[in-house]
Amino acid sequence: MIEFLDVHASYDGTTPILKGIDLTIEDGEFVAFVGTNGAGKSTAMRLVNGLLKPDRGAVLIDGVPTTQLKTSELARRVGFLFQNPDRQICSSTVRDELLFGFQAVGRLDDEARRRVDQIIEEFRFDGDADPFLLNRGTRQLLALASIVVLAPPVVVLDEPTTGLDFCECVKVMGIISQLHRAGTTVIMVCHDMEVVADFAERVVVMTDGRVVDQGPTFDVLRNRKTLDEADLVPPQMVDVSLLLPVMEPRFAGTSVATANTLAEMQAAIEDVAAGGAAAMAASEKDALDDVPFQGSERKER
Amino acid sequence: MDGFLEYVPGNSFLHRLNPVTKIAFAIMFAIACFCTGNLVFLCLMLALGLALAASCSMMRQTLGLMRAVLAFSLVLAVLLLLTTPKGDLLVELPWGYIGSDSILAAVVTVIRLEAAAIPLFLTFYVTKMTDLSNSFVKVLHVPYRYAFTFASTVHFIPVFMNDMRGIMEAQTARGVEFDQGGMVRKIRLMVPLCVPLLISSVRKTNSSAIAAEVRGFNLRTRESGYKRYPMTGADWAVIALGVVVLAAAIALSLL
Repeated sequence: MIEFLDVHASYDGTTPILKGIDLTIEDGEFVAFVGTNGAGKSTAMRLVNGLLKPDRGAVLIDGVPTTQLKTSELARRVGFLFQNPDRQICSSTVRDELLFGFQAVGRLDDEARRRVDQIIEEFRFDGDADPFLLNRGTRQLLALASIVVLAPPVVVLDEPTTGLDFCECVKVMGIISQLHRAGTTVIMVCHDMEVVADFAERVVVMTDGRVVDQGPTFDVLRNRKTLDEADLVPPQMVDVSLLLPVMEPRFAGTSVATANTLAEMQAAIEDVAAGGAAAMAASEKDALDDVPFQGSERKER
Repeated sequence: MDGFLEYVPGNSFLHRLNPVTKIAFAIMFAIACFCTGNLVFLCLMLALGLALAASCSMMRQTLGLMRAVLAFSLVLAVLLLLTTPKGDLLVELPWGYIGSDSILAAVVTVIRLEAAAIPLFLTFYVTKMTDLSNSFVKVLHVPYRYAFTFASTVHFIPVFMNDMRGIMEAQTARGVEFDQGGMVRKIRLMVPLCVPLLISSVRKTNSSAIAAEVRGFNLRTRESGYKRYPMTGADWAVIALGVVVLAAAIALSLL
């Protein structure tokens, strides 16, 4: 469990970036931090793996303050994927890169080598390839793999899909989703609200160093006031649903007000659309019934 | 957060000076520090440097810089102490001795390096890099290609330092303990990080070169820049001060 207890943080000790954050992330949750640039999301992430220490308050990992944990100890508990994989990659082959993490935390043994071979196979890497010659998406996957290989109980992702094309984005998020299903706690900073809506279970909205809202993903995404305050645009599907009247579900069984996934939302919108179309057809039929058929009139003449 | 050697906006006397004046004064100041070993003169130069820093509210940056220079100059001072036996014998060494003059020479080295560095680094904090290169072209008639090379070199120092910081952060997050152990261990840990830094610098340099080419870098002449850099009375007065300081140092060294 990760707890933020009245956390205040800054980079230079004078300009506050986080201004009193209270937050709890339970084991196995998938939490997305959203907000505009400068809201303090990445700073909050740095506090989780001890890259930054709080000026005031405490960040606890399983009840232990990050200030009391050594870097290697924190690295075992919290894996961190940076936005730019080139800052993370430092070895001359993919295999060495995956082994580097074990070396850093002092666990380089036969078991580690077996695990690296397994990950190479799972991710379909060429173990002898030069990481710097791989394309951007594959480098991001390698950076992710170098975290997955260590199997930390918590994974922090700082904008994992930035700069990736659609297929690469799907691949990266697919692996993250698998990790989450296997019980890993996933904390993600993301600007892509479609990705947030698709994968996150809970959303934390930040503005100006403060948490302004948090809760189940679709409850937060439907809250127009919060989104406006944080200058966020919800996924198109949610936007459309907010324009529709709340109607009793006829076909899909879920209304736009209670949908909790994009698929449920789509079904609810189709439901509303079908209901609307049926009503429109009925009213048009009534209107047509009132109009005398001109063709028959002509015949009669 | 201000970066190393990055311009800090302001409207102080130093900010308003012509960039050529600032660099000329800084060079004369540095040469003067190396011309003489007179401790009193060097202390006065250090005080003048600090006064200049205070005049443009750069004390914090200057003290940070002095700390960095101190680390480097202390290494030199120790080497000097151990390898230059001069004056009355104080400590006997297997290969010579440490003398009273050796200590004086070590102190002079530290103060000289500190004093010489301040105006040079201050120049970059109070001058935009584009102004520095453009004024070289306009006032000194340096070909733009060379002025751009100089400006780019200085400009990339903080960029690479930021990159290195980012890379170290990324490796710290993977469990590399930079904050544990001695200097040798730290260097051993940092060697592999040179690879990503080298890769990112080559990529950045390549991107910058392409960007410059497509924006007509080769078409640029001395007349291309619209901004003028006239020398004012204040500029000539500062240059005169530089000449006086340099002349005083040369005179002291000859006496």
